[in-house]
Amino acid sequence: MINFEEEIERFKPSLEVEAVSDAIVKSDLTDMADIMMDIMKDIKKEK
Amino acid sequence: MDEMQKIQYAANSYYNRGLEMAKERNLSGAARFLKRALQFNKYHTDARNLLGLIFYEMGETSDALIQWVISINLQPDGNRADYYLDEVQRKPGQLEIASQMVKKFNQALFYAQNDSDDLAVLQLKRIVDEKPNFVKAHLLLALLYMEHGDYTKAGKSLFKVLQIDNNNEKATRYMEYVKSRTGKAEVEKRKMKNAFSHREMQDDDVILPPTYKENTGWQSIINIGIGLVLGAVMVVFLIMPARERTLNYEHNQEMQSYTDKLNLANQETDKLKLQVEDYQKQKEDAEGQLNDLKGDSGSTVNQYAALAKILDAYRKGDTNTAVLTYVDMDQSKITDDGSVVILNEIKADMDANAPAVLMAAAVQSNSVGDYDTALRYYEKYMEFNDKNPEVIYNMGMVYKAKGDTDNANQMFGQVIMNFADSEFAEKAKEERGY
Repeated sequence: MINFEEEIERFKPSLEVEAVSDAIVKSDLTDMADIMMDIMKDIKKEK
Repeated sequence: MDEMQKIQYAANSYYNRGLEMAKERNLSGAARFLKRALQFNKYHTDARNLLGLIFYEMGETSDALIQWVISINLQPDGNRADYYLDEVQRKPGQLEIASQMVKKFNQALFYAQNDSDDLAVLQLKRIVDEKPNFVKAHLLLALLYMEHGDYTKAGKSLFKVLQIDNNNEKATRYMEYVKSRTGKAEVEKRKMKNAFSHREMQDDDVILPPTYKENTGWQSIINIGIGLVLGAVMVVFLIMPARERTLNYEHNQEMQSYTDKLNLANQETDKLKLQVEDYQKQKEDAEGQLNDLKGDSGSTVNQYAALAKILDAYRKGDTNTAVLTYVDMDQSKITDDGSVVILNEIKADMDANAPAVLMAAAVQSNSVGDYDTALRYYEKYMEFNDKNPEVIYNMGMVYKAKGDTDNANQMFGQVIMNFADSEFAEKAKEERGY
């Protein structure tokens, strides 16, 4: 059974084109490689 | 193999799986894997570009632009994203249309979440007409149709979604529900059962041809008539009210916008009117002050002009003009040190010369019947010297000539009382009738 009220609340507004530049600036681009590099730097410092 | 290499391999694996799913049109599944690939390696340009392409295909232009712009920034040269961005931006107005579609969708969602389903449906129908690959709009439209029991239309919308993204989780779930409501699930189940449970035909089995019933001409006409009536009823009771509400809403919004603009303009006009009135008043005040300065004989400017006239008269040797100008000027307005020194020098000269000139001027005015001027000169004379009985007597005679007996008698009385020994005392007594 599908609950209409619950389903409708799950829909979120789409990102507007004017907000693209803000979204790009706020994007978190940290990847696994960055995290690994940080860990390796920390290990080197401890040594 | 070091850790960094392992990370690169993991990213590649996720990308490969994402690419495979994208080729099978499982777009939402592919997007999940591509996002995971980028979490391992943000520089994986192909993964990022493909993710953007998937967003674009599903109608999410803004999300696509984000991925392609980031991609270009991370790898400026030899990047396919450059072409994608160029394609989106090159066609005139395409970006603007995409922007409008997103705004309309957000508005439709607002309607739907605020119990204005009919408006939401109208808006969404327009959106999917203009942008048939907008998955989210199809899904919302399907949900609204389902809520209103229109499962056939809901099924059509969901079918379009599944054509774009064949494993869309939400569309699949909705479709199952729609099928259960329309009985299609049962039909499909039976078909599946029949597919695996057929038996060989026996010799004595009889195949019955499907019956064919031909409609008569009258029946066709009646059926067409019923169809037309139903169509008209649909238009009157379903389409027109919804359309009317939309038009009313749009009209009200437009009117509101115009009213706001008008109010602002009126406020601005009132403000400007007040400013104009203020400036007008300031102008009138300034003009009044200027006229006062020009016209007021007692003004400071005119007193300095009189001083200049006196000096000019002295230069020309015209003592009469100098004296007559001097006695009419207001000396208190001359305040600067240089001019006060000049004025004092003039005053010393006036004490010596002015009485004779004033006496002559008064006698002349009296002789031509200008009694007021004569009296004024005599009064000025008195300011220099008030001990001359002739002047007082003459003033009495001028008053008498004017018919002002009271003042005349007062003047004659002064002569009789204060200058009893003078020849004018006798004359004054004669005038008083003593």
